[in-house]
Amino acid sequence: MNRLTNTLENLKNKSKKALVAYLVAGDPDIETTLELMMMLVDSGVDIIEIGVPFTDPIAEGPIIQKAHDRALKNNVTLKSIFEMAQKYRENDNKTPLVLMGYLNTFIFNKTLIEDNKNNVIDSVLVVDIPGELNLKDYGVYNPNINTISLISPTTKKDRIKSIAKNSSGFVYYVTLRGVTGASNLDVNEISNNVEEIKKHASVPTLAGFGIKSPEDAKLLSQHSDGVIIGSSIVQMIEEGSQSKEFDRIRTYITDIKKAIS
Amino acid sequence: MKSDKNNLPDKNGFFGEYGGKFVPETLMYALEELETTYEKLKNNNEFKKQFYKDLSEFVGRPSPLYFAERLTKHYGTGSIWLKREDLNHTGAHKINNTIGQILLAKYMGKKRIIAETGAGQHGVATATVAARLGLECHIYMGSEDVQRQSLNVYRIKLLGAQVHSVDSGSATLKDALNEALRDWVTNVDDTYYIIGSVTGPHPYPMIVRDFNSVVGEELISQSKELFNSMPDAIVACVGGGSNAMGAFYPFIKFNETRLIGVEAGGEGVETGEHAAPLNDGTPGVLHGALSYLMQDDSGQVKGTKSVSAGLDYPGVGPEHSWLKDSGRAEYVAVSDDAALKAFHEVSELEGIIPALETAHAFAYLDTLMKEFDKNSNIIVNVSGRGDKDINTVANIDGIKI
Repeated sequence: MNRLTNTLENLKNKSKKALVAYLVAGDPDIETTLELMMMLVDSGVDIIEIGVPFTDPIAEGPIIQKAHDRALKNNVTLKSIFEMAQKYRENDNKTPLVLMGYLNTFIFNKTLIEDNKNNVIDSVLVVDIPGELNLKDYGVYNPNINTISLISPTTKKDRIKSIAKNSSGFVYYVTLRGVTGASNLDVNEISNNVEEIKKHASVPTLAGFGIKSPEDAKLLSQHSDGVIIGSSIVQMIEEGSQSKEFDRIRTYITDIKKAIS
Repeated sequence: MKSDKNNLPDKNGFFGEYGGKFVPETLMYALEELETTYEKLKNNNEFKKQFYKDLSEFVGRPSPLYFAERLTKHYGTGSIWLKREDLNHTGAHKINNTIGQILLAKYMGKKRIIAETGAGQHGVATATVAARLGLECHIYMGSEDVQRQSLNVYRIKLLGAQVHSVDSGSATLKDALNEALRDWVTNVDDTYYIIGSVTGPHPYPMIVRDFNSVVGEELISQSKELFNSMPDAIVACVGGGSNAMGAFYPFIKFNETRLIGVEAGGEGVETGEHAAPLNDGTPGVLHGALSYLMQDDSGQVKGTKSVSAGLDYPGVGPEHSWLKDSGRAEYVAVSDDAALKAFHEVSELEGIIPALETAHAFAYLDTLMKEFDKNSNIIVNVSGRGDKDINTVANIDGIKI
């Protein structure tokens, strides 16, 4: 069974919330990303979302944009990300790995997704396509990779229905109008929308964008099946990249995990 | 060629395989809202009346089709005619589109206007129409372009709009578009995004083309009146491609007219340092549409190079990609040097200082005019005036103003 589906089912059976951590592959370098991934899982992360760097990441705020730029300077490509995932799997064959990126990268490197050598990647999330479509609609298909669709506060009810049905990993509820790392969460709206999604989705609904503090995480986990943390981690990676000192991230993740348990 | 060639895009926003709607989910409803509004208004008589009234009284349309006597003599073959979009209010074709889109914004009750700009002409045109309606206006511009188009930056500010200098990526037009899209995602409820070219997600390429098609429509009647036939060729520069699309679109059905788009060849297409995706790109997705794109061997968008800020863009409107593949239009590129030479030549021969963008179209006449005889009529779309480029050209010529 797909690691993502498996992990989400296990969490559900134990009535636990999922904690997803995002980082950009190759920021500050591939070796460090590998170490960070291990550390994140060690600290309690259930699912890792690997940001695939792109020159024009229109859904990202400044923190993650800069991380994409740093990774691109290191010549990180989708090919090197698959190689990195391959290495990661030598030590951890359980944690689901999700690729999050922009359509052009995936259609340009179609064969990498279709091959997915040794099934190292479990899911793909394409930021810049309408929710009811997925990579298959753009001619990229691998039955062993499931897809995660986004639903946002502006998605109309009739579309919520078709998007929720289309998602095979989890439904990613974008908690705000804005880019990653923004800060204008509206808990009422989130709660109402997630409720609506849950009416139609057969997979869990996780919340992401703009979740920073353990308090945010706690609040949102009460209205969803789990939370996705991105910009805060990426910022701490940036700040620790000189000294290679990332203990803050460990503490931060431990606190978040506690808050949503 | 497909029989529905005059009815593109299809209902999903595709011109053949190009176009579409590739945006973050948050923007989907805004695009649908825009599409619904536009479909409702485009054949509404009141709306059309207002649009053409503004074009006539505020912009000064129709723009003349002017016989370029000395340029014609210079080449000694066909007659060269200039479509004088440079004479429009604010100095370029860009105002045609903004006049139309601001009416849509008004109808939709949006209070806040955003736009991206490269050369600054679209920024000026947007700030102008926003001022006229008293709407808050924000213009995104790459920091490199803020430098080289400082005159237009000041014009935008005089018109009461705010200029946001964008430092990310290559700090040019593509990055300004990224930033405008991010603003739109954040403020989508009360904000109208006036995209300045036939680029972006559906329905923008269609809307911008339709509003700008007033250029081609006028050309049809002016050609009949002035030389009693359809032109043998229309030449226009192509960055995102709005001036070319506006001139080409009404002529797609007249096969006797060659449609020629001129891209920015920068240091030469063969050097890779250029902004000519139709000449040296492959299909890819940028800014919401699938179209020819300059990208590297891992699918990243490549940096561009052009002396002209308005053409310095790695993508191109999807309808141009379709016109290229279908063979209905031809796309060529000329270098920075050739464009600069034409800039001086046209200024001296015709008393018209063209925009550096437009100078690319003029530069191609060196090649094109050899293919025509004395009985032919060639139209150059003079997309804008060159006042904004005086500093750039003076710098290149080593002159301090």
